[in-house]
Amino acid sequence: MITIEQIAKKFSGKSGEVIALEPFSQEIAEGELVSIIGPSGCGKSTLLRIIAGLETPTSGKIVLGTSGLKRPVGFVFQDAVLLPWKTVAENIRFPLDTSGVPRSQGDQKVKELIQLVGLAGFENSLPKQLSGGMKQRAAIARALADDPPILLMDEPFSAVDLLTRETLNDELSRIWRKTGKTILLVTHSVEEAAYLGTRVMVMSPRPGRLRKTFDVDLPSPRGEETKRSPEFLDLVAELRTMMREMTQ
Amino acid sequence: MSGRLRATAEYGAALALLGLAWWYASGPYGMPPYLLPSPASVLTTLWNMLAAGQLLPHIAFTIQNIVLGLLIGTVFGVLLAYLLFKTPFLNDVLEGPLVVLQTAPKIALAPLIIIWFGLGLTAKIVLIFSLVFFPVFAGALAGFRAIDSRLHDLAQLLRLTPAQRFFRVDLLASLPSIFVGVKIGAIQALVGAILAEWMSGAQGLGYLMTYATATYKTPILFGAVLLTALFGMVMHALLNEIEARFLSWNVPDER
Repeated sequence: MITIEQIAKKFSGKSGEVIALEPFSQEIAEGELVSIIGPSGCGKSTLLRIIAGLETPTSGKIVLGTSGLKRPVGFVFQDAVLLPWKTVAENIRFPLDTSGVPRSQGDQKVKELIQLVGLAGFENSLPKQLSGGMKQRAAIARALADDPPILLMDEPFSAVDLLTRETLNDELSRIWRKTGKTILLVTHSVEEAAYLGTRVMVMSPRPGRLRKTFDVDLPSPRGEETKRSPEFLDLVAELRTMMREMTQ
Repeated sequence: MSGRLRATAEYGAALALLGLAWWYASGPYGMPPYLLPSPASVLTTLWNMLAAGQLLPHIAFTIQNIVLGLLIGTVFGVLLAYLLFKTPFLNDVLEGPLVVLQTAPKIALAPLIIIWFGLGLTAKIVLIFSLVFFPVFAGALAGFRAIDSRLHDLAQLLRLTPAQRFFRVDLLASLPSIFVGVKIGAIQALVGAILAEWMSGAQGLGYLMTYATATYKTPILFGAVLLTALFGMVMHALLNEIEARFLSWNVPDER
């Protein structure tokens, strides 16, 4: 569970203070997949970075219901950020290696993860030999390596082509159902947000604030037929209208 | 691979041409041997010295100094660069003076180094160190500063210890830049080693050169120069090989 309590963030730059996030609170239950959308400058990435502990909020606090875990969150960046000198398998086991997990145990885990994300046969490839989509799969496997209960994803599929993106969406949905992780997904795409989320948080820019949250009552597992269902199309239309209003 | 083969062939052809010109000038053209000894006489002299055990100690001494100076210079160059990278305060205080030192001609300081550190091994290593240190330092600092900021995010997310951060992320990520510095430093180290031996001591290829000059043994002088050039080439090839083997991740694959 993630509790966001009156989180706010200001950046002070040359031209004075910029309010990246106005105070807001939100609760995210265990096992939820919450999509966060909003135009550029709405603070969605900042929010994710605060939850990850990469930024400190100006006020408010984040409570992760993951008492005492050394690494409570896995993080997936917009582009994979793999260590370029390590192979796929070595990259995935990097979180395990650096926390002293024994070799044999790590090997087993890496094998499972490679299966899970569909990278079998590419264990010994270097990142430079992989396509954008495959790099992102490796990055997801790495984020899952030491089994964090929370997965934070910052526009993870925006750097891959549309077809790969749809495949990866289905893969993510499958991984989520299989592992039961709590996932926060920041995205630009309203379809992606509605298709994957159990809830969609819409944020508005300048200053960044939470505009509205939508519960997504679509049956799970979702597939192509979901994307044609009137409920899905209505939600997408509503989200799109809201996004359009904000960017005007 | 064929590109590499061609490069080797071209390299060999150039050397052969140079050898031919040398042979022509000293033989048919008739340059006097005290100015230009023939290739054969130089090789014979080297061979005789080798057989008498008079050559290897000199070669070993020079190589040892270069390797030591290169190692110490690299380690300190990288460490100081990392210290500056991690400590903004030190960076502000030290960067200016270091740039000034970097542009100072270290070769010109060689006599001073000998006065300070004596005629022995220390002064030689210090001179080589001073030549290696700056290019490595500059390369490493540029490398550390160019690390993708998201790698720092990753290190923070994984709660890496400072040692893990240095050895498992920052150092490796900067290795290509550091290596550029090491390659420049290696050439400088060779120059420094020879120069230091010119000035003091009774060992090394540089000493052989001054000895041969003083006693008009031109074949020995040529032999020493030849060996120095050869060592420079071997070192260059070796460093390229290391780079190709360990830093290939940094080179985009040809498509």
